[in-house]
Amino acid sequence: MSPKLRVAASIALKELRHIRRDPFTLAMALGMPVLLVTFFGFIIDFHYKNISVTVFDHDGTPASRRFAQSLGASGYFRLSKAHEGLTPDYALENDKSFSALVINPGFGRDLDKRGAGPSAQLLLDGSDNAKTGVTLGYFQQASAMAFDAARGQRSPPPSSPVSTRFLFNHELNSRWFIIPGLTVVICGLVGILLTALTVAREWENGSMEMLLSTPARPGSIIAGKLAPYLALGFCGVAFVYAAARLVFGVPFCGSHALYAFSCLLFLLAATAQGLFISIATRQQQLAMQFSIVSGLLPSLLLSGFVFPVDSMPLFFRWFTCILPPRWFMETSRDLFLKGAGLADLWPQFLMQALLCAVLLALGLKKFKTDLEP
Amino acid sequence: MSLILLKGFFRKELTQALRDKRMRMLIFALPAIQLTIFGFALKTEVRNVRLSVMGRPGDALLEKVARRCYASGYFIPARIGGDWLSALRSGQAEAILAGPVAGLLADRLGKDKAPLQLLLDASNMQRAQQLENYVAQIAAEELAAYSGQPQAPPQKISVRVLYNPALDSAIFMVPAVMCMLLCVITIILTAMALAREKETGTFETIISAPLRNSEVLAGKTLPYVLLGLLDVPIILGVAELMFHVPLRGPLWELLLAAAVFVFATVAIGTVISTIAANQQQAMMASFLFPAILLSGIMFPIENMPEMFKPLAYLNPLKYFVTLLRGIMLKGMGPQSFLFNIACMGALCAGAVGLAALRFRQKLN
Repeated sequence: MSPKLRVAASIALKELRHIRRDPFTLAMALGMPVLLVTFFGFIIDFHYKNISVTVFDHDGTPASRRFAQSLGASGYFRLSKAHEGLTPDYALENDKSFSALVINPGFGRDLDKRGAGPSAQLLLDGSDNAKTGVTLGYFQQASAMAFDAARGQRSPPPSSPVSTRFLFNHELNSRWFIIPGLTVVICGLVGILLTALTVAREWENGSMEMLLSTPARPGSIIAGKLAPYLALGFCGVAFVYAAARLVFGVPFCGSHALYAFSCLLFLLAATAQGLFISIATRQQQLAMQFSIVSGLLPSLLLSGFVFPVDSMPLFFRWFTCILPPRWFMETSRDLFLKGAGLADLWPQFLMQALLCAVLLALGLKKFKTDLEP
Repeated sequence: MSLILLKGFFRKELTQALRDKRMRMLIFALPAIQLTIFGFALKTEVRNVRLSVMGRPGDALLEKVARRCYASGYFIPARIGGDWLSALRSGQAEAILAGPVAGLLADRLGKDKAPLQLLLDASNMQRAQQLENYVAQIAAEELAAYSGQPQAPPQKISVRVLYNPALDSAIFMVPAVMCMLLCVITIILTAMALAREKETGTFETIISAPLRNSEVLAGKTLPYVLLGLLDVPIILGVAELMFHVPLRGPLWELLLAAAVFVFATVAIGTVISTIAANQQQAMMASFLFPAILLSGIMFPIENMPEMFKPLAYLNPLKYFVTLLRGIMLKGMGPQSFLFNIACMGALCAGAVGLAALRFRQKLN
């Protein structure tokens, strides 16, 4: 064993003993990811049911009643009749209801008259981004049937000239979409936090200075510090993977070796990012702030976890390229759901490796300049 | 508590927090920068879907449908090499519109039940469902126009999205991101500042001074309330000047909501700081992460299973998001305002009580 490697190994051993003595860190690294994935996997569901609609039926004919009834029967909406004196504006402004359906007088009479203006109005609360778009889609689907019902026709749903095949997630299960993404967000968070804070604390305590005064080289110190957390993070990922497969039944169509490799690259990038933050700040408070700012928020919002990268303006599509979670998000989802191979995923792997190398080099450089007088 | 005492505390805490250049940046510049980035980047509408159209060469009608799709603004053309499955798998295309196999589209109309086939990458099932709607509608209109069939009578219903009629993503997202940033910055600032004092031992000095517990608690935490509140005009300025988010409700409602919220988060930060040092970060992460995910910004809360819903109702961020969106976008009614601010106030009182309790235990 070369001396450098031996130094790194003994630092890693010391770090491991540290972790073993601190059951909390161990629990956080191994337990928290799987706990969070399971918890959020259960509670996050994109499929809206029972969107509240207050019906203001000013027509009061059988046709208008059938129209409303058919909307309610679609399963998307929960209808309630407006009580005396309520106005649509009041209902929406005070969160009594998410939307209001106003049926004008003459709705039944004008049903089949061409050229007549709209005889009903749907008002939506546009302050909730997640719900508004979905409701618009539901309403479009449900209203065609509701109009048929109002006419008293029991026609089959209009046949579309397009037949659609939903590939890779044919049941349109939102958990299959969320859980591979959640894995990325949570593992990145734990990876950054673990290293950023432990190393920053060593700076604050002054034990890092001691280590630097020994003949250990910066490279060995960094390798020795990172390796245990990398291993710990990797065990955390294995638990998360097991939860995704066993608890939620998310399919895994790709190669496990590729997934493991991708996880390692991502964890290495996250721990390197944490290391860089802690070397640059040398303070726990600042390290925490920067970890959250550079780790939690971008990986939640800019990685494509919920808001697709493709929909962003061009500049921000480029900007997200420097975020490791953006690439691991694609790899993770493509491996889980699509069964993509290396031929498909090489750009993602290349970018992950590149970012990893850059972050490590930055950390090492900062570390070295700090050593020189 | 004497005013002079409080002034002393304020001077010390503010000097310390604002002395470090990186700290000043974190408190004042970073929220503005982040709000700008997230406000511009986060789009809730479907854009730039890579669509590839496959059919027989020279199929004029299919090309017409394709042109309509690309003109709609949702799609961009994708060139695919190889077969469709590998194109979808590698992400070269997200959607593929395939014409009939047996002949030209125009010839197969009326013969096939569904002459067109749409192949979608449904790993993001929400996006896939929206895409299906768009393509089906465009194709139905175009084919009906070609075959001269009487179109279905136009739907006599008008849909109006109140408060954000143009469905502008920035107007949806900016108030929510404002809440999130304020939450993150105040909690971390308070928790870490207090924890640091404990580690460096300066806290012992304060305890030995002739001060009452309540005085120490107030003196140590109120400066952070002030720092948090200083961020409010900054992010509000960015929201108004950069994104032109409307402010339909009265300003005092917004400021009151922000003040109650900052009190609550500073109290939560104080509680976190009383936890053992090596567990603080984990506690903070395990508060912030669920708080953000369960605030209604990213996921619908009402879809949660009933047994977990109480958790969402214990989240001050949820009420603050509702309030800020309500005040800025809707000019929300007094009933709803009172309800949300009362809930947030109750949570705030609970957090302050808990902070006082933990603080006293630590001092004694």
